Formats: sequence, structure tokens, C-alpha cells
Amino acid sequence: MLAMNAVRRIVSSYAPPGEGATARGIARAIRGGGLRPGAAGATLEAQREVEAPPRLEAATAVEGLEMTARTVPGEPVVGIAAFLDGIQRSRVLVHHAGVPLVHGAVAAAIRVRSARRLSAWSTPLRSHALYLPVPLMDATLVAALRANCAVVDSLAEHDAAQPLPRHPSDLAARALTAVQRERERSEQALALDWTAEQSQPLLMDGGIAGREEVARSRNVVGAVKSHRTLYVVGDAMDVILHLREGERSTAIALSSPRRTAVATWYLRLRDAGARGPFFGLLRVEVALEPGEDITARADLVSRWLLAERAPIALPDARWDVMVYGIRECEQYLTAILNA
Amino acid sequence: MPDTSALPILGRVVATERKPNTPHEFHFWTALDAPVGIGTIVRVESERPIAGVLPTIYGVVTEGFGYTDLQTPLHDVLGADGVPSASAFAPTERTEIRLYTAAVLRHVPEEPLQPVPMGTVHLATELDVQAALRMDSYLGGSSARGIPVGMYRAGGTQAAVHLDADFLLGPEAAHLSISGVSGLATKTSAVEWLLSSIFAHFPPEKGGVAAVCFNVKGPDLCFLDQPASSLSDEERGMYEALGVPAKPFEDVQYFAPWTAKGYQLATLRSNEALQENVQPLTWGLRETLEYAEVLLNKDDVDAKADALIDFIKERVLNQVFTDELLGAAHEVRTFGELDRWFFEVIRGIEQRDRGDTWRTHHIATIRKVRNRLSNISTRCKGLVTDDGTVSDLPWGSFKDRGVYVVDVANLEEDAQDLVFARVVSQLREHLEKRQLGVSQVVVFVDELNKYAPADGPDTYVRKMLLDIAERGRYLGLVLFGAQQFRSQVHRRVVGNSGTSLYGRMDPDELATPGYQTMSPATKARLATLEKGQLMVRHPHFGQPIFVRFPRPAVLTGREGVERYPPADELALDAAVTRALRQLDPSVTLAWVQDCIALAGDSEDDIIRARNRCIQTRPDDVKAFFRAQLKKRVSSESVTKRGPTPLRAAPPDDDPYGG
Repeated sequence: MLAMNAVRRIVSSYAPPGEGATARGIARAIRGGGLRPGAAGATLEAQREVEAPPRLEAATAVEGLEMTARTVPGEPVVGIAAFLDGIQRSRVLVHHAGVPLVHGAVAAAIRVRSARRLSAWSTPLRSHALYLPVPLMDATLVAALRANCAVVDSLAEHDAAQPLPRHPSDLAARALTAVQRERERSEQALALDWTAEQSQPLLMDGGIAGREEVARSRNVVGAVKSHRTLYVVGDAMDVILHLREGERSTAIALSSPRRTAVATWYLRLRDAGARGPFFGLLRVEVALEPGEDITARADLVSRWLLAERAPIALPDARWDVMVYGIRECEQYLTAILNA
Repeated sequence: MPDTSALPILGRVVATERKPNTPHEFHFWTALDAPVGIGTIVRVESERPIAGVLPTIYGVVTEGFGYTDLQTPLHDVLGADGVPSASAFAPTERTEIRLYTAAVLRHVPEEPLQPVPMGTVHLATELDVQAALRMDSYLGGSSARGIPVGMYRAGGTQAAVHLDADFLLGPEAAHLSISGVSGLATKTSAVEWLLSSIFAHFPPEKGGVAAVCFNVKGPDLCFLDQPASSLSDEERGMYEALGVPAKPFEDVQYFAPWTAKGYQLATLRSNEALQENVQPLTWGLRETLEYAEVLLNKDDVDAKADALIDFIKERVLNQVFTDELLGAAHEVRTFGELDRWFFEVIRGIEQRDRGDTWRTHHIATIRKVRNRLSNISTRCKGLVTDDGTVSDLPWGSFKDRGVYVVDVANLEEDAQDLVFARVVSQLREHLEKRQLGVSQVVVFVDELNKYAPADGPDTYVRKMLLDIAERGRYLGLVLFGAQQFRSQVHRRVVGNSGTSLYGRMDPDELATPGYQTMSPATKARLATLEKGQLMVRHPHFGQPIFVRFPRPAVLTGREGVERYPPADELALDAAVTRALRQLDPSVTLAWVQDCIALAGDSEDDIIRARNRCIQTRPDDVKAFFRAQLKKRVSSESVTKRGPTPLRAAPPDDDPYGG
């Protein structure tokens, strides 16, 4: 019986990649188009320059009238059933007439927890594609590339009223954005599958507002680790920056014309000490449901997240805010993306 | 090759630049609960054909690794805030790996020999074990010659492991070495079990096989013909699976010298109920002098003394010897007669006036040799007789599947060496002439590190053991040696052992250079082996294999002495009665006492008369014994030696009466 269990688990959790759906397949397709891929350099993600400056943004409180620090009541409790994350890798493979051809690889997966062990839920999503500005390319070459691999137009969302970008770095940045969009789409697609099939809480790495169905689901919790935008202004910022371990902020509502409104609050997972105001600070997103007792929900979700502080996510550089399940998911994706 | 493709997948082969696979080693990972351990045999199935053939590789697990995604233990300490109990509350267990290293047992096909490819890993089935250990070449068919050595058990697979008789008992390779710590390695049990297996499976067309076992300590081998007190169902099942009858040896003969007093045999198998197959082992001058080298100290006996000993062996022993120096002809057949001969020679040299040499031998040399030879019968009393009485192993009529136990446990070291040297030499001589009665003989010697030590003086016994180890297989003379420390046995002895068994080993021993080829995990397993487990090396096996064997179906020495307590030391008349009753059950203590009292012989003469009875085994034991005594009475009446008074025991005290 033991042997059978072991055997069941050893079967691959993802389908083998098809022709052209691997890094090698992309390189082969480029060669097939008469181009010569150069030596692989650093990923575009590593080269990315800061696009927007940090900023503060006001938000509406949905839990009382003013921003306060609230001690999360009760002991941490295990409530998260699964973890969702996505990764991306983008590299310029060749420049053709000053136009960068970018290999973008994307993967997303849900790792479900059972008996304290994580395993793949459903089939992880993986994609390899060539991201290039189609309007700037020779149609024959594009057709030749499409015949051998997936091709994504990195200018598909470009405003037609604006002139086409020409700067290679600009074009590479747009390709990177397109890859990022693809990753987000994969994550949202998986989250949607989860909400459709499962009734237990799923923790997503990042925000949940990208897709309406997901943003409205009570089963999805978002954990945002970066704080380039702080959703507080004035004295309220002090409250957030001085949260102590196990404290959360008042819940607020985030809304924008392009995104579904969600409830969010800040939660200090670990004592910051002298390590800076953002150490151990997580922003949590959940669906905003009118008439709901947001205090009770924010407290419960906060207890779930505090329970996820162990095991520690070291050696990840963001270990102070990284939930181990998300890190494990990331490791899994790295493995299958390279497979 | 059987179709095993439908069997479950246990793991997958992995290789990295830092841990690459080679033709002789590979790595694989498994699920955490996979039934794999050190010693498990696995099969790798590659998905990439080589020259049109999908390779199959067999391997045995030699090392295991387990680790998590923790980069340093400090991270776990940090995560638990330094409180060990806090780690238990983590809702998720860390990602953990079970990574194993396996040593290749066999590639199929054998060529081209390439690094082990990526592929799926499966637990070996019984057929896989046969293929992996190349047993398929000698199991089944008309040339079957497998000797079961134990059961391989892992992950639900049970498979009989067989040794190749041609490589265990010759002629291709031979000899067996078994090592392990005393008491826990079950070395003697393993040899007893293996002998049972050999007797059950040695192909009849290869001739007869017998075993000569030297019992060098305690009662270890004293009850080989008695059934074990109890065998568990599991052990009986193992006997059945391995095709070996779970019963004691059917044909066992025991040989032991007399005690120094000569009343009874010096063996722990002295219980009255077990005397039927116990015989004395005694040698006279002729038998002893052939192996004088064993007993004489090389520092004392130089080339001149050697020359004199050779002269005695060739010109004096067992023939009529005359010399002008001696008054009368001498016929030297016993130690007593040899001493008289020396006395005459020395007296002759001293009385004549022509220097101190006789036939080129100086009188000092003669005195020294006399001194050394004369005390042999004292040093080996009980084994070597003054009067030349010989009771020996049945040279020329060894029985197929017979066991001959020579109990030397109570002998001095010199005497043990003598027994060992002579028995093995006789075996060799008879096997050379094909006159032993069987074609193969297994000689079992315990404490081999004492008889063939890696260092120390180059003794006659060690030279002989080296000779057996190096040339015995051509003759059918096979050495089964047991020792606590293999590293302390002469390397040519262990090096020539085709098969090696290891029970639980001493960790210090495992740290010696001879074990460097073993992985740390294999060594750790060896250091903790349970009783009844062995690691086996055999020429057909590419790597050592762990097996289990059942307890021997014979009474252990400890249980044997409890069930059959050794006889108390007997008085002379009782001892004689007991010996004669083996030949004629009608002999009673009262009859013996009467005989002795009437004859009035000395104690030595009575013992001599008894020994002649045992040696001759006459039809009419009483008459023969009486005649021996009368003969003495007659000769001693001339010398007027008085009778030795013996206290007559009352008839109702007769422990043998009725």
C-alpha cells in the first residue's frame, strides 16, 4: 500500500510540453526564420528599471471611520487550503533590425495542502512564446515564426492614435509588460477554476482584483508584498508604519474604474524592530461584500495569515512577508518551467 | 526477460553536474514513503533505446540522502524563534527529498557500457533479483548448481539468493570467509545453515561433499545432530522457500582427545546419551613426528636438530634399527621406545672414547632433540599417546554429506595446532589421491585470525592455511573461515575467499582500509545488522547483497549443554565401564571393577587396555579387555610391580547397571 501511494505521487503533475512550447523550441523557431539567436543574457525582469515612483493614495475606510491599529484577536489558525503563484522569465533572444525578439515563459500553479504537504492542484499552466512588435516586423518573417512557435504581439494594447514606439528598450519593456499580462491571465484563470470548483480559501500571491469573478469570490485571499503604492495619506500612514507584530490596520476599500473593488488592510506578520517600516508588512485583499461584518472577516483572514509564518520562507529574500506555501509554489513553477 | 513494464514506478533517475551518473553508480529520488532502504535492489528502465534496445539497469541502494529546502539549519531556528516545540505548529511541512545512490549490479545489454540513463526506477521482483545477481546463469536447467544462502527481502519482494557451487566449493573459485563481532554476528549459525544448504543442494553429479569442523571454543558445534529446540513459523517458511530441510545433520561424527588424566574425552559432548558417535582422537609417535615442526620452537630447533629429526623419521621410526653404538636392536614405535633409544644413544656416546659426535650429530644436539621430543607427549597429553595407540578420523571412508567435528576446545594451543595441521594435511593427501571417500571437503575453522594472522610469526599452520586458500580449490579442499576481525586475517587467506559473509561488524573494524569501498550507509547498516542478517559478497554479484537466513535447525551449544549436561568427572572404573559399554552394552561397573581388581594393573595399563579395545573394536569386548589386562599382569609380575589399589563400588552404586 505504501508503495502504491508513493507511486501515485511520483507521476508528473504537468503535461509534457509540445513542440515549440519550450525554450529550445522557441530558439529553433527563430533559426527557422533565418535569424541567429544570440547568447542568452540576463532576464528582462532583472533589468527592469523602476517604472513608476512610490506614491500614496487615499482609500475609503470600510471598518469604522478612521485608520487605527487593531490587535488581531485569537490565536493564529490554519485556514488557507491552497496557494497560487505565477512566475515569468523574459529574455531578448535576438535583435532584428533594431527590434528585440523576446522569449517569454510563463507558468502558474495552485499547490493544495493536504496533511501538511503541498501538491499540485489541477494542471499547472505553462506557456512559451515569442513576444515581438508585429507591426514593426516583416510579415513574412512573422508568418515563418508563427509556423513554429506561439507569437504574441507586444504592441497589441498600443493606442493606435499614438506613434509606434521605436526605441529597442521601449520595445523590450513593452514585451515584458505583455509577458506580465500573460502571467496575470494565467494566475487569474487558475484562480477562477479554483473558485468554480472549490469552496476552501485560496491564497494568491499579489492582488485579487485583476478579474471580477475572482475579486468577488469569498474563497480567494490576496497577499501583496510590495508597497510602492501605500493606500493611506496623512496621519494614517503612521498607523500602518508602526503596526506591531500581530496587528492589522482598519480595513479600507480599493476601487478603480478598471478593477473590481476589494477590501484591503495591512497586517504586520513579524516584528519590524530596526529593520524598516515595511519589514513583515503585508497587504491583504479580500472580496468586498456590502453588508458583511468586515471586522470579523479581516480578523479571521489575518489569523490565517499569521499561522502561515511557519515554516519560515528563508532563504527567499522576501522571507519576512513571504508565506511558505507561496514560496513552495514558486519553487515548483521554477522546476516545471525549466523542465 | 519478463515483461515488468506494468509494475509501479518507485522513483526516477536524476543526474546533475555535481552528482552525475556513471556506468557503475546512479542516483534516483522517490516519494517520502517509498519502501526503499540501504540494500534494496532496484531496476531502471530507460526510455531511450541504445542500438535499438531499451537498456535495463539493475542496482542496489548504497546510500540515501534526505533534505529539505532549508539552506541552513539556522533558518529553521529563526523560523521557530529558537523554540523547538514551535516548529511543530507549522501548517505546512517543508519540501523534502529522498535521494538515493545505487551501485550498478548489471547492465542489460552489457555492451555498450554507458552511464546509467534517465528513466523510471522500480522495485526489483524475484526475477529481477535473479537477473541482477546473475543467478540466472546457474539456476535451473540441467546445470543448476545454486546453493541458497538466504532470502533477500525489501519493499515486499522476497527472493532466494543462491551462491554458485562452482564458485563456493570450487573449482572456479572457492572458500568462504565470515566476519563479525562475537555473539551478534551469528557466524557459527551462518556456517551451520550454509552447510545444511550445501548438503541439500550440492549437485550429486559433482561427487560427494563432507565437512570437517574444528570446534575451538565451548560447545558451539557439539550438538549438530540434535534438533533445534524451536523454529518459528517464519523460519520454517524460509527453510521451505529455500528448499532446505529444517532438520539437523544426519551423519555427524565427533572426535575429541582424552583429558590429561585419560579417563574420559575432553569435550563438552560428554553426556552419556550422546556417546554413540563420539570417538577418541589419539595419535602415536609416527603420526606426531610427521608434524613435529608444528610443535617445535624454531628458535630452539635449528638446522642441526632438524637433520636429526629427519634422521629419526627416516631411519629409526617403525623399523628395526641397529648400530654398533647400541647394545641391541631397537624398534621405535612409541614415545616410550623413542626415549629408550635416545637413552641408549647418549649413553653409548658417553661411554666410548671417540669424540662427542655420532653419525655427524653432536651429543648436545641429540640431548636437545630428546628433550624437545620427549615432552611432546606431556604437552599434548590426551592427544598424543606414549604407547602409540591411534584413533583417528576415517581417512578413506568419509561419507557423502557427513560432518566430522574435531573438538579441540580443551586442548592447549600447541596441541590444537598439531590437530589442525595433521587433519588438514591428511585431507589434502587423501583428496590428491582421490582416496578420501568424497570429492569435496569443507573445512570450517573458527577464530581464523588466530591461526592465520595478518602479522606475527610464519607458523606451519598459517603456511598450510595459505596453501589451502591458494590451491585447495583444485583439490576440493575448501576453507570456511570465521573471524571477528577480517583485517587481522592474512590478506592472502581472505583475498582468496571467493565468497565473503559479514554479520554485525565492529565499527572500529569497519574503519580499517579493507572496507573503504563500502559507502558510509552500508557500513552503518553492517554495524547494526540484526542476528540472522548477513551481507554477502560473491563473484557473480556486482555488489554486496543483504540477506536473511534462518536459525540452524540444530541445537545451539548453550541449549545443548543445558539439555545434555556434560558428564561429571568419572572415576577410572566408571570411565572404563562407560567406554566399553559403547562397544558392548552388557559391560557393567561391577564387572570392570572385578577385572581391574583381579588383574592388579596400573592406572596407565588399564587406560591402555581400554584404548586398545576402542581402537580394535573386538567382537568379544569382555574377553579382549581381560586379555589386555592379563598381558600386563604377566609382564608386571616379572618386574614385581604391585597392583594399584582400587576401591570397589557397591553394586547398587552402578550408574550403568541393570
